[in-house]
Amino acid sequence: MPEKLEILSRDYILSTFKKALEFSEADQTEIVLESEKLSLTRFADSKITQNLTTADNKVVVRTIEGNRIGVSVSNSLDLESIKRALKAAREISSVQTPDEQFVSLPQSPPALPVKAYYESTANYSPVNRAEAIGKINDVGQKNNLLSSGAYRITTDRAAVLNSLGTEQFFEGTKAELSLTLSGDNENSGYAIGYNRDVEKIDPTALAEKAADKAVNSVNPIKLESGPYTVILEPSAVGQMVLLFSFLGFGCKTFISQRSFMSGKIGQQIVGNNITLIENPYHERMQGMPFGFEGVPRQKVYLIENGIARGVVWNSYYANIAGEKSTGHAHPAYKTFSPYPGNLVMGEGNSSVEEMIASTERGIYITHFWYVNYLNPMRTMVTGTTLDGTFLIENGKLTRPIVNMRMAQSIQEMLQSCSMISAEKQLYPQYSVVMLLPYLKVENFNLAAEEA
Amino acid sequence: MPINDLYSLALDEASRLGATYADYREEDITEQSLSVSDGSPELLNKSFSTGFAIRVIADGAWGFAADSIINEDSIRKTAATAVEIAKASARINKSALELAERQVVEDAYATPFKKDPFAVPLSEKIEFLSELERMMRIDSQINSTSAFMTFIRTQKFYASLDGSRISQDIYQAGCGASCGVIRSHRDRSERSFPTPNGQWITGGYEIINMFDFKNELPRIAQEAIQLLSAKECPQKELDLILGGDLVSLQIHESVGHPLELDRVFGYERNFSGVSFATTDKLGSLKYASDMLTFVADSTYPGGLATYAYDDEGVKTERNILIDKGVLVNYLSDRETAHRIGKKSTACARAEGWMNTPIVRIPNILLLPGESTLDEMISGIDDGIYVISPNSWSIDDNREGFTLGGEVGWEIKNGRLGDMVKSPRYSGNTVDFWNSCDAVGNSDSWVLWGTPNCGKGQPGQNMRTAQGCSPCRFRKVKIG
Repeated sequence: MPEKLEILSRDYILSTFKKALEFSEADQTEIVLESEKLSLTRFADSKITQNLTTADNKVVVRTIEGNRIGVSVSNSLDLESIKRALKAAREISSVQTPDEQFVSLPQSPPALPVKAYYESTANYSPVNRAEAIGKINDVGQKNNLLSSGAYRITTDRAAVLNSLGTEQFFEGTKAELSLTLSGDNENSGYAIGYNRDVEKIDPTALAEKAADKAVNSVNPIKLESGPYTVILEPSAVGQMVLLFSFLGFGCKTFISQRSFMSGKIGQQIVGNNITLIENPYHERMQGMPFGFEGVPRQKVYLIENGIARGVVWNSYYANIAGEKSTGHAHPAYKTFSPYPGNLVMGEGNSSVEEMIASTERGIYITHFWYVNYLNPMRTMVTGTTLDGTFLIENGKLTRPIVNMRMAQSIQEMLQSCSMISAEKQLYPQYSVVMLLPYLKVENFNLAAEEA
Repeated sequence: MPINDLYSLALDEASRLGATYADYREEDITEQSLSVSDGSPELLNKSFSTGFAIRVIADGAWGFAADSIINEDSIRKTAATAVEIAKASARINKSALELAERQVVEDAYATPFKKDPFAVPLSEKIEFLSELERMMRIDSQINSTSAFMTFIRTQKFYASLDGSRISQDIYQAGCGASCGVIRSHRDRSERSFPTPNGQWITGGYEIINMFDFKNELPRIAQEAIQLLSAKECPQKELDLILGGDLVSLQIHESVGHPLELDRVFGYERNFSGVSFATTDKLGSLKYASDMLTFVADSTYPGGLATYAYDDEGVKTERNILIDKGVLVNYLSDRETAHRIGKKSTACARAEGWMNTPIVRIPNILLLPGESTLDEMISGIDDGIYVISPNSWSIDDNREGFTLGGEVGWEIKNGRLGDMVKSPRYSGNTVDFWNSCDAVGNSDSWVLWGTPNCGKGQPGQNMRTAQGCSPCRFRKVKIG
């Protein structure tokens, strides 16, 4: 049975927000809801160490007086609390410095409906999660491995209403199972599954994938530092692509000349086999179809066949640049640049088996650990390999290797992809979901770690 | 506090449903954030968040549930959910968990401050931030400026089935500025003050008087211009002096996190990593050089992690972690402390009412040494001095790391030399701390606040602090 905490209905939310808008005396008013019911079970050493269900809302009120903007956030959904937030926002907008570049809140048509809500996920109970972890432990036990990880189930709701008539509502579920199986010899394997529908996640299959890596990671050899041919699993690709996206695909970084896309639209910036699209409407993505100003999200070609095509916009920066919003506004209390939330990488025609078979000497990488910027100007990042790093010799995976530290330009990585798989996997990271293939990359810089 | 008297219903209901341990935590959080950027207002926001959590042990396992709606009905449902979750956990766990003892108390604590930040008019704050921006516009080349201030008040009430009743009223404040030159994506520079995160304390509006912005902001603007034509950082083994702000990050990443006892026991293996500092090394690992003593102390006034009780109702006290270089204790909560037969070091903290407490870094103090910065520099023939952390990564075992700063200077024959851009250094935690041969004196000691420590699932942001002065390290891999 589902956990007992409940979330408020769509009708209640919309009718309450409409009443609050009628109450507002500001020139323009926007009310946004971010709501999440989260159920999460964490496990380590094959035991459940943390298990919870929480329900919270963020009601973000933005009021406009001329071009003075005030923002107030409350987590109470009753009308009186929203009225208090309106009052607080208006107090702020009355003293705020005018923002000469602000034009107006957007007036938007209804967004396309997207099926993102699954009862199977919403009703997935603590007992269901415990049973899934039991299956993972069974695989671990068979292979003399301990399990750790997290099973995360969420039901998200978002609403945007403004005084210009914009009205949007979204409800979606997510299931994410991340797991590590580890042995006594510092050997470990990792796997992750993500879907809107929890029934599409197979805990046993994921555990077997991780176990296979862990079992084959005993007695790793140490390799010299240098450039290597690498094959990256979608998780590893995702960690790189996400930081690339943060550096370059948002309008704020773009117009401030901090983006590798700045001044490059229409030019070749990575290999011509690379295409990256922001596409919430992809059948496997099922993304939220509007941003937090209520503007319907657009499918945006970011890079097409290696050529820089565009970035994602909110209305504020779109007005400054003479562009159109692509529906990627954050809630008004966030100041960082909008970024794509539904990244789809174009597929190739290879299989991972063909990638391995075609590699004389290289390294197979499951995922990276603690990826962070080294030099944003050169899209340089660092991090270490983890949970399944193997040497490839003469077309075969031959032995495990000691984890290595990368120091790699992501842009150069995307200029050096020699093979791309047809198969793609969903990979969630923070609030972004990506649909990514395996990549074979030449001259990827890896160094022996100091440990 | 408490805001209401429903806590006893929560505890009674949890007990009635089978909980052998239960605690109730209610929080009321108010935050005000202001920022300006490139001469325009960027954000002026006031936020409120209220809710409660019930944490239980039933059938020997944890359950936790939280809700933002506080009434009798939601209290009953939340208690039932927490117990139901605990019983589901128990289906997997073979052994019942136990907690280290702690005193049952009734107490109240409030952050001392000089000036209530929420009473200062918004217009005064906006003008202050605008003035910070103007101070950095010393040259037409400076085309990027920003400044921020944030104030957070957290009123929290903790009650436990065994009788503790604790109210705390915590005020936290942050402030900082940065500037840069952007010629193109690949030709730009940035400098920040006091650090890229600003500085953060527990306290009030007095934070704005802690720094000499009038002199420091034009200086960093000048450095931002100089950085554009600065040398590349050398890539070789050199002696290294880290500014206090970078020592703070180094402590955070390679002392604080490795000594979190939940991490040591593998609770974070799948997400935040593990630790080389395993319990078999307690009392024997020569973690650092003899001159280094690290202390966990959330009683220290003004630290961003200064509080009286953690979120399990354990009273904070001063605990030595590394004594003259030797590992002697961990950062712990009641569950993990019990596993090593010690009492909790009061590090169980939750980001907010909706989060379960986990082991978090408190104030960690590296006790001051005797050197001045000039003395440290004069003892180096060929080295580098680096400040203002802007890049960091450390492996999942908290051993191999690479960190970097916004700016550095060569040291040649005992004197500071040319500026270098993108300085980075790397090493291994134990070797690195053992290579330290000079620690700055108390005049240069600062308790640096870190407002953005991430850990746990769901991700919990935590505010920590590291007290330290500049330090000198020998033969470090630079570049």
